[in-house]
Amino acid sequence: MTADRSNRLAIAFARETARSATARLCTACVEVLDVDGAGITIMGGDQAGPICVSDAKVAALEDLQYTIGQGPCRDAFRSGLSVHAPRLDADMWARWPSFVQLAHSSHIAAVFAYPLLVAGANVGVLTLYQHAEGELTAAQRDDSEALAGVLAETVLSLQDDAPAGTLGAGLEEAVQYRAEIYQASGMVAIQLRISAEEALLRMRAHAFSHDQSVAEVASLIVARRLRLAGDDHTIDPPMEVEE
Amino acid sequence: MSDEALAHAATRQTLTATTFVEIVDTLVSDFDVIEVLTVLTSRCVELLDSAAAGILLADEEGHLRVIGASTEQVQLLELFQIQNDQGPCLDCYHTGVVVAQADLRATSPWPEFAAESVAAGFPSVCAVPLRLKSVILGCLNLFMSEAVELSEADLALAQALADVASIAMIQDQASRDAAIREGHLQHALTSRIAIEQAKGMIAERGRVDMNEAFARLRAFARNNNRGLTEVAQALVDGSLTVDLVAPRRSSPPPPRP
Repeated sequence: MTADRSNRLAIAFARETARSATARLCTACVEVLDVDGAGITIMGGDQAGPICVSDAKVAALEDLQYTIGQGPCRDAFRSGLSVHAPRLDADMWARWPSFVQLAHSSHIAAVFAYPLLVAGANVGVLTLYQHAEGELTAAQRDDSEALAGVLAETVLSLQDDAPAGTLGAGLEEAVQYRAEIYQASGMVAIQLRISAEEALLRMRAHAFSHDQSVAEVASLIVARRLRLAGDDHTIDPPMEVEE
Repeated sequence: MSDEALAHAATRQTLTATTFVEIVDTLVSDFDVIEVLTVLTSRCVELLDSAAAGILLADEEGHLRVIGASTEQVQLLELFQIQNDQGPCLDCYHTGVVVAQADLRATSPWPEFAAESVAAGFPSVCAVPLRLKSVILGCLNLFMSEAVELSEADLALAQALADVASIAMIQDQASRDAAIREGHLQHALTSRIAIEQAKGMIAERGRVDMNEAFARLRAFARNNNRGLTEVAQALVDGSLTVDLVAPRRSSPPPPRP
């Protein structure tokens, strides 16, 4: 069987799996690559959303990277190169302090991130997590690279059938998962008369300084139990006073 | 080998290497198919014992089209093949193998084409397929001013040049397609996020929950004959004020001008 053909078949199977049970993609990655955890995030421009995570610990680590805007996932996407961190040591701590801290408390000792590349297009990242320190084997590296290629084409082909402006079946999760965060950023944008983009930055800063996740902060904002302060760090006047 | 022959061989070797570098270069820099094919035709004429060269490429429906030619005469001969549905290039495209006829003045499978070509000063022709694996993209036509057969070495070189050009074209198409698809994904991601952000804006201004906010967003888009995504984007980028979609609670409706 030619490489072309097996690749085509792999993509078709991955696509059909993703359509009905996106989460299975991560389970499959963990199994075929023989790693402890995996997450797949689709990215475009400054936007990112996970389409699946293999477990709750991975979810927390992927969320943290989103909250602080740094980590192996973002580095792999920005550079288009795989990121290898076989030891989350002092050097890695200097690079991604919060990420390494949470990884340690989650018993994650090594992390590897592969950009989802196909014919020059970069559509996201496959991140692999290990409980023990150490490099991936040569076979694991080759397989991860091949799998990242299959996933890239899978993501694009899931999007091919979708009407313009809507996400394809199996990809909707990428936005649904963080829907509350986006909604909250819209609310904060109105409250503070800033852009939604800046509102998200404020939410990130608040989450970071209060040791919360952005999702938790967003949830409080949407429930109207939290209002972020404006630039002058005083509580924003309530709506009634404005009117 | 005489000094002259040695010098000729050395020049040819350099020119061959330069041509490959030139074509490969287009793979990494801004790619222009026409430019690559123009380089291909002119270098074929310089490197091989051919007087002129032309290229036909198949379009999406499989119809051959003239893409480039080293001379105006050749362009006409290429067109002649398509219009009369006969000639070495068509046979080459359909079979995927080299088609050559050293002397068109002898019996030819393409009598009308042979007459035209001989009249134009090209009594000998050769067609080399532009292909990648089983995909045939078109063919490279070489025209000779004398009734000669191209040497094995010349043919191998012509095929190698054609192969590099084919890879360049296939790669270019693949990355063009991928870039378009990546753009669609990015647009979809941004649009979907904008809808959630817009819901948050409307919910805050109108003091309603997210379901009601979405209902208002949809109603506004429908009433104004605009797309949902477009309205959401406009709210997020500030080109549409949220007050128009969600009047502030307890404030009177805006006066009509």
